[in-house]
Amino acid sequence: MIPPKKYLVTTSEEIFRFTPDEGYRPILDDRRIVLVGVHACDINAIRILDSVYLEEPEDIFYRRRRENTLIVGISCEPDEFCFCRSVGADSAQNGFDLFMYDLGDRYLIESGSTKGEKILRDLGLRQPDSADFVQLRRAMHERDLKFRKSLNAYGLPQIVDSNPTSEVWTRYSEKCLACGTCTLVCPTCRCYSVDEWKELTGECLRCRRWDSCFLRSHALVAGGLNFRPTRTDRFRHRYNCKSSIEWSTGRLFCVGCGRCSAFCPAEIDHVEVLNSLVHLSVMSA
Amino acid sequence: MTPEAPLQIPKPARIVEIVEMTAIEKLFRLEFVDGSRMGFRPGQFVEVSVPGVGEAPISICKSPTRPGPLEITVRRVGRVTKALHAMKAGDVIGLRGPFGNGFPMEKMKGHDILLVAGGLGMAPLNSVLQYVLDRREDYGRIILMYGIRTYRDALFREEVFRMLEAQGEPVVLISYERDDPFMEEIAARYPNNVRKGVITVLCKECLLPHLTPGRTSAVVCGPPIMYKFVLKELVGLGIPPERIYMTLERRMECGMGKCGHCIVGGASNIKYICRDGPVFTGVDALTIRGLI
Repeated sequence: MIPPKKYLVTTSEEIFRFTPDEGYRPILDDRRIVLVGVHACDINAIRILDSVYLEEPEDIFYRRRRENTLIVGISCEPDEFCFCRSVGADSAQNGFDLFMYDLGDRYLIESGSTKGEKILRDLGLRQPDSADFVQLRRAMHERDLKFRKSLNAYGLPQIVDSNPTSEVWTRYSEKCLACGTCTLVCPTCRCYSVDEWKELTGECLRCRRWDSCFLRSHALVAGGLNFRPTRTDRFRHRYNCKSSIEWSTGRLFCVGCGRCSAFCPAEIDHVEVLNSLVHLSVMSA
Repeated sequence: MTPEAPLQIPKPARIVEIVEMTAIEKLFRLEFVDGSRMGFRPGQFVEVSVPGVGEAPISICKSPTRPGPLEITVRRVGRVTKALHAMKAGDVIGLRGPFGNGFPMEKMKGHDILLVAGGLGMAPLNSVLQYVLDRREDYGRIILMYGIRTYRDALFREEVFRMLEAQGEPVVLISYERDDPFMEEIAARYPNNVRKGVITVLCKECLLPHLTPGRTSAVVCGPPIMYKFVLKELVGLGIPPERIYMTLERRMECGMGKCGHCIVGGASNIKYICRDGPVFTGVDALTIRGLI
């Protein structure tokens, strides 16, 4: 349910401690972890997180975790919610160390980094032959036919941008419970908030934890002014953000994993909302 | 950026002096404990940490052309600023930054500078005012329009009213919103400079005689509600929208385009106020949805 982002930006993490004598001391997580079985959509999502967190000025906490993480991807089969193919995130060109393609009775393993390359070499596996690649193509083709959901991604940023007052926003935001589940399960949602307190020992501690743009406090400033005061404002804000283009990959901030639709308690479907918007904007043009 | 000094970790700074400016605003003079100095541009901000309480984004209210401690003006309005107001000289806080783009001081060279400040908006604009006064030869006429509620709410009161009374350069125009006998006296004395009402009452009669719109750059800072009205007035007076610079407020927790709170704009034009701003132009206001 929760995407692998939780290993790179944990739900709540201490970032520094402070005492008047010792000043500020950052807390870096030095655990080394291996993520096995990561799907292509989530690998593409991690590339988006990389772009946000590692862009100057880079986030030192993310940098450390990312360097200590080995990612082993695996090919997958679409379920009823998947629409990764329509947003171009159904395969991963990079962002992993190893990727395992299921060929039925064997795996074809691709390396995507020097770390991965070294592991492959050390394993001493047999080199793939042309029959393996034929089987891979067949498997990928068969998989392509299994997608049942497709987002109208073409021109989506402009369409979302030019329809801020569409009735689609009110229609679905009235159903929305504003619980924030969609942002928690989203592999590219990364808003965080910061808490700070003093321990009984006198030491001060700062933490950051996942936040959600569906919560009322997200755009609230001291003094009580809220820049996104209504639920519709916040609902549209998330769709706006997910429908924008990440500049380094040139793709949407949405990787089509379908988790937001699968876990929404109000059964709001991401693809249905946006496809309705596209449909309505064509019909009313 | 060196790994020893990541922008996410505050640097301890000592409060060297506190000046009470109004009932709810104080000016803090700050020096880094390690003796280092922070380079910055007018319009940039810092994240101010009160240990054990939290952090708030605050504009720097002093020009980089002036020596001495860093200065910030803080209104007591939330949890962090309340804690800050309870501190005294000698106490240690944390600073991160500077953040944001700041005002394009280079680009404005050779222009008349119109400063439009509403309330606490005078704090970041004081940095610009000091800067253009210190580099007087680089800029044309300087006009300050300042909207306050009453005399007692004015920031940098002495400096502002001294400039008003000098009746020369910079030209000072003041609007006051609430009944205030003292301001009425001042208005009677300087009828061409002081009016009762919101800041836009100054535009037509008071500002117009001093304004050459074609060679003016405007810098604007005030409460969020103010921008729409001021932008319209200034464009109406003939100042090109791309030369109207506004500095904006949002919730910000990181200051560096990561935490997501300050995102604005439609899907095809997403901006982070903290990183892409906080200074935006009148043209940005048209192309970035939800900006003002």
